[in-house]
Amino acid sequence: MVQLGSRLLKGYRGGHVVIRFALGGCTNRPFYRIVAAHSRRARDGKYLEQLGCLDPLPNAHGERVAGLNLERLRHWLGCGAQLSRPAEKLLGLAGFLPLHPMTVTGAERLRQRAREVAAPPAAGSPGAGDAP
Amino acid sequence: PPAEGEAARPAFGDEAVQTLLRRMTGLDLQKVFRPVKTELKPPKYKLMTEAQLEEATRKAIEEAKEKLIMPPVLNEREPIDDVLAEDKFLEGTETTKYVFTDLTYSIPHRERFIVVREPNGILRKATWEERDRMIQIFFPKEGRRVIPPVVFKDEHLVTVFQQDRHEDILNMCVAQFEPDSPDYIRVHHRTYDDIEKHAKYDLLRSTRHFGGMVWYLVNRKKTDGLLTDMIHRDLLDDATSLITLYHMLHPECQSAKEAKERKLQGVDLIKVFVKTESQKEGYIQLALQAYEEAMATSTAS
Repeated sequence: MVQLGSRLLKGYRGGHVVIRFALGGCTNRPFYRIVAAHSRRARDGKYLEQLGCLDPLPNAHGERVAGLNLERLRHWLGCGAQLSRPAEKLLGLAGFLPLHPMTVTGAERLRQRAREVAAPPAAGSPGAGDAP
Repeated sequence: PPAEGEAARPAFGDEAVQTLLRRMTGLDLQKVFRPVKTELKPPKYKLMTEAQLEEATRKAIEEAKEKLIMPPVLNEREPIDDVLAEDKFLEGTETTKYVFTDLTYSIPHRERFIVVREPNGILRKATWEERDRMIQIFFPKEGRRVIPPVVFKDEHLVTVFQQDRHEDILNMCVAQFEPDSPDYIRVHHRTYDDIEKHAKYDLLRSTRHFGGMVWYLVNRKKTDGLLTDMIHRDLLDDATSLITLYHMLHPECQSAKEAKERKLQGVDLIKVFVKTESQKEGYIQLALQAYEEAMATSTAS
């Protein structure tokens, strides 16, 4: 029990507030909670506030449901919280933040790979040089 | 659009209309407070004086009036199709859409932001059905389900009507759907049509749905069956209220003009209305005759 107490009352040196995903759910059934927590805390540990959730598996209507408490999100961002990369990408998709550059780059890369898969069987020459 | 001002076309919520509808709904305490299927408890008996009994009856009437507040009648809502962003280069990265709901507690549900990011990269506002589903998932309301029950489909409504459970299905409908959703309006119209077809008006009397039904029938000028039913049950005041409402909504019709000129009241009003407006004149004349004979015999004896 003493170990439990010290883990909950931990004070850290350094570190900052991050808004990130905390994984929950069961085997082969993930469920993310969008959470404001200290960066040094465990991923699923004690957090400051839950700001939303994301269900990565599509539901009966073929949609992935996500909830975002925008008012509190704005509050924490105003307090100087940082965002993890998946959180930034999700907020970019939602339209709250501008689209993350890696989302765009990822889409480009996917298209490039699709083109390379399609092109070599058709043309013998190697595909057009790597687009940076 | 009519050339006269807004006062020409009375709306469902106007004071005068509501007063007329409330009078027609009636206040049968036995029916309003009839036993709802709850946990079985032994009855409680209280010993009261006359004054206390009056007080209790008065409080019961107040509560009954609250229970009889009519659910709103609105026009069907316009579908939402508003695109917030088009990012066509995202095509192919995802296979399913994302639905984002704003979970801020203090904003009303109508103003909540619910957006959908489609697999082809378009960021659009969610449709009304998606909105209702998401709001029910995150802010569940009593008596409402995320996916509407199958009983609201047309083929199953028929079964419900055969069991005479119009009031129950209308209560379920009010709990499940928003007043301006097409499903709400469709279920209500089917129920009212079925009641009018089989003349089961008494099922809804003294419930909060009676006003809505009368409004629907008067707007479509299908008031004959209801008028006959009222005269059969000797509710002449209700009949006059019904005709007054009809005249308020259709001021250009023949009987409205006659009534205004000659300032008719009571049975005369009904007679003029029957001669000019109704389709089933014969039935209503017969009912009126029977009523007058009954009045004559009761006053004579």
